[in-house]
Amino acid sequence: MSPHAADTRKGAADRLRDIEAVTDAGLARLSVDDLLVELLDRVRDILNADTAAVLLLDRPTGQLVATAARGIEEEVYQGMRIPLGSGFAGRVAAGQQPVAIDDVQDADVVNPVLRQKGIRSLLGVPLLVGDRLLGVLHVGALVPRRFGEADVDLLQMVADRVALATQARLSETERRAAQVLQRSLLPESLPQVPGLEVAIRYIAGGEGDVGGDWYDMFTLPSGWVCMTVGDVVGRGLRAAAVMGRLRSAVRAYALATRSDPAAILDRIDRMLRQFEPGEMATAVLALLEPSFGRLHVSLAGHPAPVVATGAGPATYLDVPVDPPLGVAPPVSRRVTTVDLLPGAVVCLYSDGLVERRGVPLDARLGRLREAVTVRSAEEVCTTVMVQLVGDDRPTDDVALLTVRRLDPPSAEPLELAVPAVASSLRDIRAAAKRWLTTIDARPEDVMDVLLAIGEATSNVVEHAYGPKGGLVHVRLELQRPDVVVTVRDNGRWRSPRGDNRGRGTHIIHAVTDEFTTDRRSNGTEVVIRRRVGQAGSRS
Amino acid sequence: MTTAVVDVTVDDGNVRIAVAGEVDLANAAAVEDQIVAAITNQATSVSVDLGEVDYMDSAGMRLLFSLASRMAGLQIALEVVAPVGSSARRLVEVSGLPSFVALRPPLDRAAG
Repeated sequence: MSPHAADTRKGAADRLRDIEAVTDAGLARLSVDDLLVELLDRVRDILNADTAAVLLLDRPTGQLVATAARGIEEEVYQGMRIPLGSGFAGRVAAGQQPVAIDDVQDADVVNPVLRQKGIRSLLGVPLLVGDRLLGVLHVGALVPRRFGEADVDLLQMVADRVALATQARLSETERRAAQVLQRSLLPESLPQVPGLEVAIRYIAGGEGDVGGDWYDMFTLPSGWVCMTVGDVVGRGLRAAAVMGRLRSAVRAYALATRSDPAAILDRIDRMLRQFEPGEMATAVLALLEPSFGRLHVSLAGHPAPVVATGAGPATYLDVPVDPPLGVAPPVSRRVTTVDLLPGAVVCLYSDGLVERRGVPLDARLGRLREAVTVRSAEEVCTTVMVQLVGDDRPTDDVALLTVRRLDPPSAEPLELAVPAVASSLRDIRAAAKRWLTTIDARPEDVMDVLLAIGEATSNVVEHAYGPKGGLVHVRLELQRPDVVVTVRDNGRWRSPRGDNRGRGTHIIHAVTDEFTTDRRSNGTEVVIRRRVGQAGSRS
Repeated sequence: MTTAVVDVTVDDGNVRIAVAGEVDLANAAAVEDQIVAAITNQATSVSVDLGEVDYMDSAGMRLLFSLASRMAGLQIALEVVAPVGSSARRLVEVSGLPSFVALRPPLDRAAG
């Protein structure tokens, strides 16, 4: 066979058939992997070549990785990697131009597989989508030959098809991975804090490509509640991964620094600059006091929360904005403390909610303020999303965290149902204490009622349920001048075990006026009555 | 989660253990471990100061009773310190601990 066979032998009809062979619409139904193999086989056949291979560019390392091959499958099996710019494929990639080598013996070919195979001639073309290089497609012949212009054109046509298919697969894979990652990095559920109502909305914007928005809410051992919404600048897997690290770091620093949002943000800022250079994030961090009466807020390049109290329209909290995290030289960050009245609604959100191309920011901010009213947290979230997102798919992530301070009017009973585990006891006490404060009970009476509740609920935790667990229901009701506490479970009582047990019952008797236990097969109900004086009118 | 801080100072054979925070079922065992670890065999007297305790219930009393019986066996003197009017003192009183263990207010406050 003449070395020039492919170029000279074929007429126009043959060429047309060749083009049809590689642009066949039936190929579209194949998976990307099958499509690559099929195209490589067809191009090998048409160009009368012995080998054909696709190498894709791995961006983080700047190397070409063998991804599909016919005739030299070992390239793929060995995970052959070729640096950009060196060797044959590297030269095609670096120049983004076709390269033909008539005889490899006098050329720069680094790939040992090509040499071992005894390949003599090579033709390679870049895989391009627009200006973006995805990799290289090359064919080889075991006999020396000269690839002509028509061969280059045909190979480039195949390369374009491979590039499009690969591009679609790459972005699909990354997108899925980023979505899974993002979902795993956001809280599965937010804590139920008695006395607070919480609702969230989270939309991954931008055609399903994830961004770096996050939200979080958690309680601290001190009884403080931490709320945060943030946004890592950038999109895709990287932004999602940084977001996950930031969210964990906020929790860790909140545990270490307790009640100072500026100190937490300052540490996050230093952490970013040290360990994630080049990354930038904005965040709002709000810490709610255990009494829920005051909110401490610090902003790092982030829009201010909206608060509705029912008295007049909602307002943006007047909080000075400090620089974003990870960029500026260290600054002294500021904290603004605001009173949070019973019933008040607070919305933390990411800028994806208020920024929309072509719409002035002020108009969007105005619309958000109107959407936030004193209603249940879920209703507020729903209204905000209807008003600000509507049927317009967000181009950026949207995170919205709404918290409502539930404070029942003093005569309304407090009802709690929490897991009967030791770690719930503290939350139960905190909620009961808040309720007793709202009815203006005297401190010494509060003390006794809390102790009685503590003993009754501890009993449920210890004795009501087996390993499967269950709920403890607590109800506090004001029947002036008494507070009536009901503690109920749905378990089957078993007698106390171990030493020094049973003292709790004695304590309840000692600190209350009336104490009854109703033990049934489907649960136990303890009713405690205690006269409670008012703090304002000391007797 | 309930948290308490146990602070120990040793002066010769006298061990002063100050408990701060909250003690309930969730952390009583951990608090007891810390208290017991602070008392060496060389101790002659132990003082447990509940002045900074915000909340304590029978889970905490259980550990004090168990401590009292151990100290009696080891012939180490034990006293519990709690300010008059504090919730901890009220609990200690209603639980009957003072019939086994000396209960006194903090020295500086008692003077004032």
